[in-house]
Amino acid sequence: MYAIAIHGGAGAVPRATLSSEREQRYRAGLEAALDGGYAVLERGGSALDAVTAAVRILEDDPCFNAGRGAALTRDGAAELDAAIMDGRQQRAGAVASVRHVKNPIELARRVMEKSRHVLLVGPGAEEFALEEGLALVPNLYFRTPERQAQLEHEQRGERVSDLVPPVHGTVGAVACDRAGNLAAATSTGGMTNKRPGRVGDSPIIGAGTYAKNGVCAVSATGHGEYFIRAVAAHHVCAAVEYRGLSLELAMRELLHDILSGLGGDGGLIGVDRDGRIVMDFSTEGMYRGARDSAGRSEIAIYPTRDSTKIAP
Amino acid sequence: MSHRVTRLLTSLVLAAAAALPAAPLAAAEHPIVIVIHGGAGVIERSHMSPEREASYRAGLGAALDAGYAVLEHGGSSLDAVGAAIRTMEDDPQFNAGRGAVLNHDGFCELDAAIMDGSGPRAGAVAGVHHVRNPIDLARLVMDKSPHVLLAGQGAEEFALEQGVGLVPASYFITPQRVRELEEEKRAAAGREPRGMGTVGALALDAKGHLAAGTSTGGISNKLYGRVGDTPIIGAGTYASESCAVSGTGQGEFYIRQVVAYDICAMVQYQHLPLAKAVDTMIHDKLKRTGGEGGVIALDRDGNYAMDFNSAGMHRGVRDSRGHREIAMYRDAN
Repeated sequence: MYAIAIHGGAGAVPRATLSSEREQRYRAGLEAALDGGYAVLERGGSALDAVTAAVRILEDDPCFNAGRGAALTRDGAAELDAAIMDGRQQRAGAVASVRHVKNPIELARRVMEKSRHVLLVGPGAEEFALEEGLALVPNLYFRTPERQAQLEHEQRGERVSDLVPPVHGTVGAVACDRAGNLAAATSTGGMTNKRPGRVGDSPIIGAGTYAKNGVCAVSATGHGEYFIRAVAAHHVCAAVEYRGLSLELAMRELLHDILSGLGGDGGLIGVDRDGRIVMDFSTEGMYRGARDSAGRSEIAIYPTRDSTKIAP
Repeated sequence: MSHRVTRLLTSLVLAAAAALPAAPLAAAEHPIVIVIHGGAGVIERSHMSPEREASYRAGLGAALDAGYAVLEHGGSSLDAVGAAIRTMEDDPQFNAGRGAVLNHDGFCELDAAIMDGSGPRAGAVAGVHHVRNPIDLARLVMDKSPHVLLAGQGAEEFALEQGVGLVPASYFITPQRVRELEEEKRAAAGREPRGMGTVGALALDAKGHLAAGTSTGGISNKLYGRVGDTPIIGAGTYASESCAVSGTGQGEFYIRQVVAYDICAMVQYQHLPLAKAVDTMIHDKLKRTGGEGGVIALDRDGNYAMDFNSAGMHRGVRDSRGHREIAMYRDAN
């Protein structure tokens, strides 16, 4: 069985404040990413290519907090983090605090494949991008009027929940391909009004992103500092591998016992060695989607049974 | 008497900002312990002059005793870890703070992390160029910011806001490291990076709290912007209520395997003794993937492990059972 799951962030998404046009836009964006990733798996492509394709589409969509449309730092700039991990040999690549790379997930993949390193940050990461022949874009490319307004509201101390949902708008994907290989990818602009230089869990292998063949692949979205302290993504894999927990139980324990106990909220998507997808969150909602070769196909935002079943 | 008071005051100052109770330690069920490392790598008797060996031993001893002094006066494991690492950061022999290795462009980029096992709370910095003691800045990130990891210029901006003075980039550069970079650049391109002189410390205090810290300049000739395992919570640095680990080695391998956390997970979930979990990680999991290096580990009962799959590792341990040991070679010396 092959399968892919994606998320477009978790947070407080009160149904009343989410207009139906906006909801349609988010659902369409999620569906496009799910289609893009699933198409790779369907034609026999690797889990790694599938998660790259899906995250790339979410980065290009200004609705989501990654790539274009990313949340802005307190000085008004976009500062992007991303990571990718290949469950086959547990190879990984990540970038943090880049300001001029159109698709950070592509650069993370280059770090994995073309450098001897795993994590590159800031101007050094952009230097590497140029050496790899990736064109840089101006920081303005990432900025959208919605994010600008969100930053201004946040800086005035006003509530912003209804402006640009969700609060934790990281995007991510996990996949299991026909050969049983697992991969995970995550990309984000981080928190609105964050301090320049702040790095969250997304590019931290083991915290926001992890994949290990034969165990599971996990991508997280949430209050990053808590996910780092809990080594969230690897914690889930360790619970599955060492304690024999199901992916579902491992994720539930992490989100609803451990992280909630520490005061952190968010969500996780994961896929296990058999291609079973689990999506769970402790926030009001999580933008998410899943599709597999057994016929599962859904896009959802709220915890209630609101999934849109899409004809496979 | 006044001499003792002076010594105590000196210790208090050395032990940094924390106010330490001067009362003697109550007999605890567990010992107080500090474990340190000064990096793993090509450390062999045949390559070491007696002077250099004595100098390393003195440096390790100074760090060990600085950390132990904090614990002995009832200080916290966090303060002990900070004191031990600060001592090694200031010592140009070690690859952290002054004397850190240089990146491909010829300057130092420093990473550090600290974790309080009883929080769990953590702070880390990556890619800083002008912070004399990165371990102190990591502690400030933990104590004074809502974040865990700050990188590059943003981290230095935070340092200034916290009143930490910056030093010129040249402060960190030593002639020895300049020579090493030149050698590294002359060596065959694409070769696996050498030089794993990261420093780290773990401590168990009188209250039974564990802490871990690690600080490094990374690997010689690294790409500008490269971040290794040191500031990655779970990879090079981790502490929980029951287990603390600090690593030194080829950081990329440590990140991929989430080495520090995985050791604690094996102890907690597979019920392996600490030394066995460390052995499994270093000689099986890490070695199988080609990763070279070592770790130090400490549990809440005061059991510790110092193990490596490289030629040697600078290391030391001191506890209230009267044990004090400094070693660097394979044969426990």
